[in-house]
Amino acid sequence: MTPDALNRLVAQLAKLPGIGEKTAQRLAFHVLRAPAEYARGLSAALLDVVDHVSLCPKCFSLCDKAHPQCGFCSDTRRDDKLLCVVEGIADELALERTREFKGRYHVLHGVLSPLEGVGPDQLRIRELLTRLQDTDVEEVILATNPDVEGEATALYLTRLLKPMGIKVTRLAQGIPMGGDLEFADQATLARALSARRDI
Amino acid sequence: MERLKAEAVVLSSVDYGDTDRIVTLLTRSKGRVTAFAAGARKSKRRFAGALEPGTYLNVQLVERRGDTFRLDGADIRETFHSLRDDLARISRALYCLELTRELCRDHEPHPELFDHLLRYLELLSKAAAGPTSLIKFELDALEVAGFRPRFSSCTLCGGELEAPAKFDPSAGGVSCPHCAARVPHGLPISLEVVQALYALQNGSKQPMNASTRSRSRELLNLFIAHHLGRRLKSVDFMSQVGLD
Repeated sequence: MTPDALNRLVAQLAKLPGIGEKTAQRLAFHVLRAPAEYARGLSAALLDVVDHVSLCPKCFSLCDKAHPQCGFCSDTRRDDKLLCVVEGIADELALERTREFKGRYHVLHGVLSPLEGVGPDQLRIRELLTRLQDTDVEEVILATNPDVEGEATALYLTRLLKPMGIKVTRLAQGIPMGGDLEFADQATLARALSARRDI
Repeated sequence: MERLKAEAVVLSSVDYGDTDRIVTLLTRSKGRVTAFAAGARKSKRRFAGALEPGTYLNVQLVERRGDTFRLDGADIRETFHSLRDDLARISRALYCLELTRELCRDHEPHPELFDHLLRYLELLSKAAAGPTSLIKFELDALEVAGFRPRFSSCTLCGGELEAPAKFDPSAGGVSCPHCAARVPHGLPISLEVVQALYALQNGSKQPMNASTRSRSRELLNLFIAHHLGRRLKSVDFMSQVGLD
């Protein structure tokens, strides 16, 4: 008979994505064995995330509740004329790691998914259109994934944005750095060929 | 453990855990199968772009316990990647994949449906399939799945159809005015729509006009939802983005 408190912790941990019953049990025992400060720090960090992190009302990235806007939106050094539309926050962070992009972001929080029944109303598309009416954005970069759903989202957004007179671009697709032509699929190779460039 | 090599079309795929994916395939020889693709999300090299919905593959499957297979390998035969240049074509392709997935049962071969699907994806990819071709695919898919709606004569008495006719999904087709009382939930259908759908069922390649097409799709959607027990998600998507 394990104590109720431990069972409750295992049950809560097992609700996390990618965590099964066994892993949850292992994590719970780790917390139990660690110094009490670790558990207090962990619980405080969990509560802090819930209490102090929200979505930026402008770009829908993560934002500290104490601030009116996120770090990307409040940074005056960024280029207001360039807006990059991404599926999720992980994609935004991946682009940021390149240190190449200095414009603004807009997070859709998903992609159009006909098979899952996700339509435009479930994404932050209306907010994007409202935002574009009030800004000096000259170019929108569609950085959704190059899969069927990402392409559908990009095409749908293009249909909405082109009539607004905004330049719409799509991330290039092709062979990854350090990649191997032999193992590239035909769609990727075909795209790489059609988007070849002068050197 | 049974090993199987088969031609397959990817009907849908969902992420599983951090690295894996569960794929629903329509195989020519084994019908609809669900396969576990270990490491499909982590390794871009292993299944490089092969598990996208609508991709035509040669797959190597290994039977596991229960109804699922393990996907050991997938060689791309055709990606139909030019489908992705147009939102209408993507939407129609995904709708057909969802319809096919829902019309099939696991491990029941449907070689004709496989061929219809492949042919329709090819046409879409070459931008040679208009909105009427979608209705043709729906009718073909329903027929090979055993749900052919009847437009040739009255579903109830077998008599000749005349106006005002009614369409009742639960009766399996159109009924004549004399049988109208027996289909209280029947929906009005014009003889023009009836004739156009009947002609399509019999191989006509004549494109429908916009209003006939729209009414045909409306009625077929109700017919499909009735027989599947639910409305397809991609139908709602298509209406949300303003496509037929």
